[in-house]
Amino acid sequence: MNEQDGLTGDGFTEHAPAQGWGPALIMEKARKVYPMADSEVVALDDADIVVEADEMVALVGPSGSGKTTLCSIAGGILSPTSGRVVVGGVDISTFGPKQLTRVRRELVGFVFQSVNLVPFLTARENLLVVDELGRRTGAPARRRADQLLEELGLADRAKNLPGQLSGGQRQRVAIGRALMNDPELVLFDEPTSALDTKLGMAVMELIRDEMKSRGIAAIVVTHDERITQFCDRSVHMEDGRVL
Amino acid sequence: MFLAWKEMRRAKARFGLLIAAVGLLVFLILFQQSLQNGLLTSFTGALRNQSAEVLVYRTDGRRILQASVISPDLTEMVGRDPSVAAVGRITQGTFTVTPLALGADAEPVETSVIGFELPDLGGPRFLTAGRVPENTEEAVASDADAAGGFAVGDVVRIEPGGKQLTIVGLARDAQLNVAPTLFVTYDTYRAALASRNPDAGAPLPNALGIRPAPGVTAGQAVAAINALSPELDALTRDDAAEQAPGVAQVRQSFRVIFLLYGFVVPLVTGLFFLIITFQKAPALTLLRAIGAPASRLVASLLIQVAIVLGGGLVAGVGLYAALARGRIGGVPLRFETTAVIVWVVLLSVGGLISALFSARRVLAIDPYSATTGAGVGR
Repeated sequence: MNEQDGLTGDGFTEHAPAQGWGPALIMEKARKVYPMADSEVVALDDADIVVEADEMVALVGPSGSGKTTLCSIAGGILSPTSGRVVVGGVDISTFGPKQLTRVRRELVGFVFQSVNLVPFLTARENLLVVDELGRRTGAPARRRADQLLEELGLADRAKNLPGQLSGGQRQRVAIGRALMNDPELVLFDEPTSALDTKLGMAVMELIRDEMKSRGIAAIVVTHDERITQFCDRSVHMEDGRVL
Repeated sequence: MFLAWKEMRRAKARFGLLIAAVGLLVFLILFQQSLQNGLLTSFTGALRNQSAEVLVYRTDGRRILQASVISPDLTEMVGRDPSVAAVGRITQGTFTVTPLALGADAEPVETSVIGFELPDLGGPRFLTAGRVPENTEEAVASDADAAGGFAVGDVVRIEPGGKQLTIVGLARDAQLNVAPTLFVTYDTYRAALASRNPDAGAPLPNALGIRPAPGVTAGQAVAAINALSPELDALTRDDAAEQAPGVAQVRQSFRVIFLLYGFVVPLVTGLFFLIITFQKAPALTLLRAIGAPASRLVASLLIQVAIVLGGGLVAGVGLYAALARGRIGGVPLRFETTAVIVWVVLLSVGGLISALFSARRVLAIDPYSATTGAGVGR
């Protein structure tokens, strides 16, 4: 293990990849508590969830049920107060901020609720920034970005800035970015909330096709029960608990 | 570098305007530095660049050369002091002079004329051309006035009276009271005075130039002379220039201006990047959420600050180099390398320090904000 970040020195190569051999996510008794002045708020209450390597899970529940907290812990954005979290075979339960930053960069892909791109980067650069922040492989990253944009039907939009793209196109670029680092797990937080119904369904079809064709695990957080039809199963949450 | 450069490329106008603003401020600072030094040199350059190490005024002259009059008994008293090796009388007056080299219709100009008894005790210290005057028909002018009809070989005429002097040398930075200045021998001065007013007697010296005795420093000689009589006011050459009436006030005024500019450049840079950081907080939050180390984002910010400051400094110094030549209202301007180095270092450090507020904002970004939508860019 690398002393500085607790990960292997060469970027997880000493860990067997989760794809094809084990779960992409294991969460056991994960708990997140926020201390208040004279009490505490339990945002996630002993949650247990396992997402297999090529599984697509819909995480459903009302606002404040803990969906985003669960996803944030699974993605290394938040640390659990207690419990065990394993992503792609790496136990991140006790990781500090620097180690979690690396987890987000190398193990997880994110598509957030709002359309989420860096406004001063072109579509292609929004994908390449993932490589720039991490391994800086150069030519292989450029080839991968071009391939992803091609597959997402955005090859002719590669040089466009986000402001020059439609909502659906921006969401597709965000999906491409989430796949750029060849993640173990992609987390979609309300990926269709900013889109109309027809475009939302089309984007969900695209997400399902991309995840399944690559054998990548995904969690899709949603309020919308219609979204669940694109996933392998649904997990319901309420009051911070996985039901 | 990737993020810093891409952002700057996509916001050329915004960053270009900041670089221009920094460049303009740098130019103004350097230009005013030259103006201050040029102004002070025009005021007192003849004192700083005369050859006597120590000057002695009469106290009631308030360190104004023309207002000080040294009586013969005071001259004798100073000459007898063991700290003094030699005394040279110096006199100074303002004459109306016509620079004949400018043609028949040349306008007469008010000119400071300094008469020295001994060339090494009140004569010009640094000659940039020619030689010191050797007879009553010759003078050395300040090199700043060469283009105004005071070049070597030019003839000037003292009005009224018509005594003519030929310029035989040029002294570096040797103006007095922001006027053309001539160094002449004591006898020449007396002749010029007589030319203007035949009834004028022999002039008393306005100051004494002192050569300290061997082993006596200028400071020791000053102390010894000042102890002789309350009527004597001895000063080292540099002090005579620095403590001339008005010099401190000019320096103080410019110091306030420089202080303001010294704050404005870092303030402008710091505020610009703070505003930019606030504006792009959603993008920075997104980048943190997808695994950008905070240190990488801070490095990107500092690269932009360095480019803006570097560009602004190059632009400002370039403009200064192009325009800080010639004269403004008789005040000579020149490119001052030391001032450039000092200000480049000060402004670079100040700019980088001011950018630390933005860096702090970047370090405070919580990637969790990306999940709430608060920090996610569209």
